Amino acid sequence: MYRIMLRNIARHKAQFVSVFLMAFVALVIYAGVGAEWQGLRDNANEVYETARLADCWLYGDGFSDGALEKIRVLDGVVNAERRLELTATANVNNASLALYFVERGEISAPYIAEGAPFDAAGADGVWLFKRFADANNLRVGDDLTLTYAGISLTKTVRGLVYSPEAVYMASAGSLMASSDYAKYGFAYLPQAAFPLPVMPYSTLMIEGGVTEEEVSDALGGNYGVFLKQADHPGVSMFANEVAQHKMIADVFPVVFVLIALLTIVTTMTRLVTAQRTQIGTLKALGFRNQVILRHYVSYGLWLTLAGGISGAVAGVLTIPKLFEPSMSSFYSLPKWGASFSPAYAVVALMITLLSVVVIYVKCGGLLRETPAEALRPKSPKSVKHSALERSKLWQKLGFNAQWNWRDACRNPVRSATAVIGVFGCTSLFVCAVGMDASMRGMKTWQYDVICGYETEIALSETVTREQTDAIIAAVDGEAWMQNTAVVRFGGVSKTVTLTVTDGNELVRRTDAKLRPVTLPADGVSITRKLAKSLGVRSGDTIEWKIYGDNVTTQSAVVAVYREPTAQGITMSRAHFESLGFEYAPTSVLTAQTAAANFDGAESVTLRADSGKSWDEMTEALLIMVYLMIAAAAVLSVVVLYNLGLLSFTELERELATLKVLGVRAGKLRGLLLTQNLWFSAVGFILGLPGGLKLIDAIVAFSGDEFDFPVSLKLPTVLAAVAFTLGLSALVNLMFGGKLRRINMVESLKSAE
Amino acid sequence: MQIEFSNVTREYGAGDRKLKAVDGVSFGIDAGEFVVILGHSGAGKSTLLNLLGGMDTATGGEITVNGRVISNLNDNALADYRAETIGFVFQFYNLIPTLTALENVALTRSIVRSPLDAAGALAMVDLGEHAGQFPAQLSGGEQQRVSIARAIAKNPDILLCDEPTGALDSDTGIIILEMLHKLCREQRKTVIIVTHNAVLAECADRVIRMRNGKIRDIAVNAEPKAIREVTW
Repeated sequence: MYRIMLRNIARHKAQFVSVFLMAFVALVIYAGVGAEWQGLRDNANEVYETARLADCWLYGDGFSDGALEKIRVLDGVVNAERRLELTATANVNNASLALYFVERGEISAPYIAEGAPFDAAGADGVWLFKRFADANNLRVGDDLTLTYAGISLTKTVRGLVYSPEAVYMASAGSLMASSDYAKYGFAYLPQAAFPLPVMPYSTLMIEGGVTEEEVSDALGGNYGVFLKQADHPGVSMFANEVAQHKMIADVFPVVFVLIALLTIVTTMTRLVTAQRTQIGTLKALGFRNQVILRHYVSYGLWLTLAGGISGAVAGVLTIPKLFEPSMSSFYSLPKWGASFSPAYAVVALMITLLSVVVIYVKCGGLLRETPAEALRPKSPKSVKHSALERSKLWQKLGFNAQWNWRDACRNPVRSATAVIGVFGCTSLFVCAVGMDASMRGMKTWQYDVICGYETEIALSETVTREQTDAIIAAVDGEAWMQNTAVVRFGGVSKTVTLTVTDGNELVRRTDAKLRPVTLPADGVSITRKLAKSLGVRSGDTIEWKIYGDNVTTQSAVVAVYREPTAQGITMSRAHFESLGFEYAPTSVLTAQTAAANFDGAESVTLRADSGKSWDEMTEALLIMVYLMIAAAAVLSVVVLYNLGLLSFTELERELATLKVLGVRAGKLRGLLLTQNLWFSAVGFILGLPGGLKLIDAIVAFSGDEFDFPVSLKLPTVLAAVAFTLGLSALVNLMFGGKLRRINMVESLKSAE
Repeated sequence: MQIEFSNVTREYGAGDRKLKAVDGVSFGIDAGEFVVILGHSGAGKSTLLNLLGGMDTATGGEITVNGRVISNLNDNALADYRAETIGFVFQFYNLIPTLTALENVALTRSIVRSPLDAAGALAMVDLGEHAGQFPAQLSGGEQQRVSIARAIAKNPDILLCDEPTGALDSDTGIIILEMLHKLCREQRKTVIIVTHNAVLAECADRVIRMRNGKIRDIAVNAEPKAIREVTW
């Protein structure tokens, strides 16, 4: 029996290889993508739990002991503590560092990667962001001088740390996040290190569940902004990224696993059916049913189990590694790596179990026949004329169409598997290419349409009016104020970006179709994505307040515009000042390529650098995209080739007959290609909307910040057509040799 | 002669395990003859038929049909030769199961330049009223008649029949043989039948007897009998 198995495997090696491959590819993708996002989540959670990430933050102008106590006694509050946050300049690389003067170090504490534990009670030392230290070659024991508002502090680096709040770190005052770790970073210091006698705590961190109403009541509204953990940009950017990967991990592999299952079922059914005579022979020789059953069941068992398990291992080992470089360039975690979930083994076993069940049922059915019945030719499938065959059109169809139509109708499962396979692959491809196109479209939109400046000079917190004016004059620039604001409408509030422009030359605003548009100078305009999520329309009145400020303002929305990355509200300087606010620019934009160091400037970002940073940020998604395209291609070829092979084996006799009748090999190939093209076409037509649905699902998980310009453009459709037809043609070419090699004598010799 | 085999050999395998299925065979057949090739299993008669039909290629010697050497043609030329010159009738019919009787015959339209009318060919084998049925709905004899109709519809010069009655009962077999005989006599087709039924020799113009890949003898019947005249 063992020899029979080996011979059968050798004889049907292509089918066996494809069953193995299907189980393998399905698990590579399922386990690989799953291990990737679960690894991200688990590694981040480890930091969050170890460092006790705050559940909410209060920002304000100085939280007193009394205020702290009022929060501490609230129901649901486990712990609360304060810190002072300010931005200083370091004596390396003229870098800008966020400094945290920490009260006790119990909530949102530094996560120690190297060096001494954080000593909140002491007054010595600084615990520096590890990536900043690495980028500037700083080690534990080195001295670091920090300057803020003319005061300098020199401290010894006692520890290298990560922050649970800065898994994602935006550079201060910049439009874009930065991954330039040599220039931006943060450092923790004990509060006693603060050089002034009065400690103006700017942040109050809370551990435990409280609502903004409770906090507001307790403090009499005396705070600027209440921020929940989920809304903290350092947390939410990463959470959104993980959610997006999870979304992809939840949707794509399911498509793969389903297609794999369908193909395995079809193949296994056919393989066993093809063994009917052999099963009859074995029975006639006196083998017991159980022995025969075990023999055939073992085919599916070992193949799919081996494919599934090796796929899961290969996926977990390789796929997370693909994402690591891009993820780690943009996010800061002490540890990267995959997580293993029992679900991978469950899916592998499920695929195995299913193939075993299919063989069991199919083989069991064949075993119920008597040996005599099994050795006789099988009664042909019932034949019925379909509606098309009874119509006049039928007579007009050529042999090719008639033959293929009948063959497809007689083999509904095989046909459905082919269509579903192509449908799945087209959906994956359209989604992948569509995502790729919209990421590129977004970059063009941001950097070619919107961005009219070459350089953004971020101003320091302590910049003076005169310094700002001097920079503007020196670079012929435009002042630009960007801040965080909380916008509220219909009972829902969102933390968004507030932009105040002074001049309209260097940052162009765009309408719904991404064309430049001039916003009204008088009034507040809102980005389309924010407007949609709040349900705001032009003419509605919204409430907003600046982050860290206590004044709430009501404004009527005068325009809605589209913005790719920073959702929020915008207004002119004149309007902002007319509301009683003081215009405090955060950066100066200029069309010149400025590199000089100005007094009062904190950093200089070139448009080209931002573009690069954008590429880094989108790299992870693009890797996902290419991975999907590659997997879709492999899957398509395996499915189509495998099904082609099944029909080829079943039709070999017919094909040999046609060959004997004088049909050339090229024409026979055309015959097989026709069916592949039909299935491809149907799968393709269904796959286009399927792909769009997938894109929608991914976009929905991309977070509040991003507005993707999703549309199915002609090039995407054409690429998908070329992809699908190309694979069909490739599979057909693979059959070319087989058709030429059909041995007419051998094929026709065997009895029916 | 319409068909000429000169020193034709067909070897299978390689090295020490070479097997000569046809071993240096030479003979000729005239147009319009009714030829019977006789021999035991493994004598090489089917291989001979396959070589003549362009389904297999000789490893030595030369085969000429209608003055054209066919033993050195490439795949496509052989396909065209099979399409235009040869009609096959198999022991197991080899109809396309997904096509009706009429469609199986009409298949020739897409292969041959000047085929006969499919319905006419089907009527010739008395199956006009079964045109819309699928092979699975027909009896063995009926299927073989469809197979003959398909061969006729191509309007070939030569009909090659490999054990055409092998899967049929004797009454039905006689009907099939009569049809083939009639085609030979009335339409001047060369009909070559491979069989191990020696009785058929009495009806043939020429009888080729084979043994172990070689020709044992060739007999020409001056007065062949009609199919019904022999005792089956």
